[in-house]
Amino acid sequence: MWSRAVVVPASRRADAVWLGCAVVGALIFGPTAMHPSDLTQLALHDPGTGVVLGVTWLLLFVPTARVIVRPQAAYLASLPGDPRAAWLVGALALIVLQLPWLALWVLGEGALGAAIVLATTLVVAGLARWQPPRLRPTFPAWRRPGPALRAIHRRALGRRAGDALVRGAGLAVLAGAAAGLMVRNNHATGEPAGVLAASVMAILLMPAQIGPALVTLAVHRDTAWLAAASGIPRGARITALTHAVIAVHLAATAIAIAAAMVIAGANPWFVPVALGTSLGTGLGEARAMLVHETSPTVAARVVIGAIVSAVIAVVCLAVLGASGAGASLAIGAAALLVAR
Amino acid sequence: MTLVVDAVSVRRGGRVVIDGVTLEVAAGEVVGVVGKNGCGKSTLLLAIAGVIAPRAGRITIADAAVWGSHRERLRARRALGYCPEAADPPGFLLGGELWGLVAATRGCAPPDAALRDALGLDELREVPIERMSLGQRRRACLGAAFLGPPALLVLDEPDNGLDVRRLVALVALIRAHAAAGRACLCASHDAALLDQLGARRFAMA
Repeated sequence: MWSRAVVVPASRRADAVWLGCAVVGALIFGPTAMHPSDLTQLALHDPGTGVVLGVTWLLLFVPTARVIVRPQAAYLASLPGDPRAAWLVGALALIVLQLPWLALWVLGEGALGAAIVLATTLVVAGLARWQPPRLRPTFPAWRRPGPALRAIHRRALGRRAGDALVRGAGLAVLAGAAAGLMVRNNHATGEPAGVLAASVMAILLMPAQIGPALVTLAVHRDTAWLAAASGIPRGARITALTHAVIAVHLAATAIAIAAAMVIAGANPWFVPVALGTSLGTGLGEARAMLVHETSPTVAARVVIGAIVSAVIAVVCLAVLGASGAGASLAIGAAALLVAR
Repeated sequence: MTLVVDAVSVRRGGRVVIDGVTLEVAAGEVVGVVGKNGCGKSTLLLAIAGVIAPRAGRITIADAAVWGSHRERLRARRALGYCPEAADPPGFLLGGELWGLVAATRGCAPPDAALRDALGLDELREVPIERMSLGQRRRACLGAAFLGPPALLVLDEPDNGLDVRRLVALVALIRAHAAAGRACLCASHDAALLDQLGARRFAMA
């Protein structure tokens, strides 16, 4: 029962992390590339690399660990049963669900690697149990419904999507790392490097952006009756939703660009091409939310919409080069206007 | 007339829930909508509140069509305060944020001291709606509905979950609202509440 109530939801959260790690792992540890020990040795002997690697893993896994160490199914504890069994299942899940991290360190360092994973697991558990102090809320005197709704979307992201944003930041680092590696391994420079990096980011940032997007969608749906009865214009609702989606897209892309530049070196094409593409995919995702907002399968349709937006962006970049970012942005804007 | 409902029909879930309903509420009047479960009381109130569009008929609040042009819709909704049966605004909102949002849409000030005191809103200001009890959620939504104050209050089972003290305060608020020349439409199964409000009954079949 505990496994079904706690471990299964946690494993669902870990899916996107495993997927991101698999993609980056394939690039880093491909047949002609590095061995896990090359990376673990680098992490052990270069403090900077070690810290970046460790912090990225914490960003990726702490949101999953929170489901295990602070389960919503706490009522199960009131049922008769041995609490040690639940504790054991939780501890095992905490280690097994870190499979990519475990595989990296055990393949790289053997017993020492296993010990390092155990030590980081304790850090993960501690961070997952920690609850940040609740800040005293502020109540700005909103004068118009549009800014009020946009502020409410931002507050919803902070309150409801905290875990998704933390995990998304980790996934954005992985996406940027993958983009940087693609650029470096293909010896790309200048505009082609920007186009290649933006294409990789458009696809790999999707798992980072979907979690917060679903929270934004839930807020949009939950405020529907309040907006209808209060006379909030549909345009203001669309603007607020798009504002929230775009903010997450741009933040994730900024993190990914920084990670790509660390690996592939600074490139002036990264920023405009990746940000333009990100705006286009964000507008496409917002369009999918608006078109399907009353559908009972809206979450699945939004995921499909995000995939379609990313594919369109990649095709634009492949056909038009850096100008494809502008084309992707124009297509996204047109799609959103049609949805209105 | 503050509210005119003229031959309104509403379809929900593939069936006609209300068919050809006509109702008028004058300024200073309290009208109680009564009827058996499932007769369409909440659906009628949702259509008046501008949440569900009727398939036929016309609804006006303070001479503005609820389902008319953009300008009229806005004017009708600014004259309306609505408290739904479920009292279910987004759960992550704090009470104070709900009132802030509604005040921004209606272009009015947040709850004044008298309203805060009557409904006990101060203790709900920093509480997320999802952590409130049913009665507390109801009070938060009633606080939002009374903001302005609006020309027409539309309240769906407003006494659900309220304790005796707050119920007395609610009756006083609605009576004062009507005495000031504003109107109230209230769906309720509680005949005693409607008697205390001096409400004219509108029975739905």
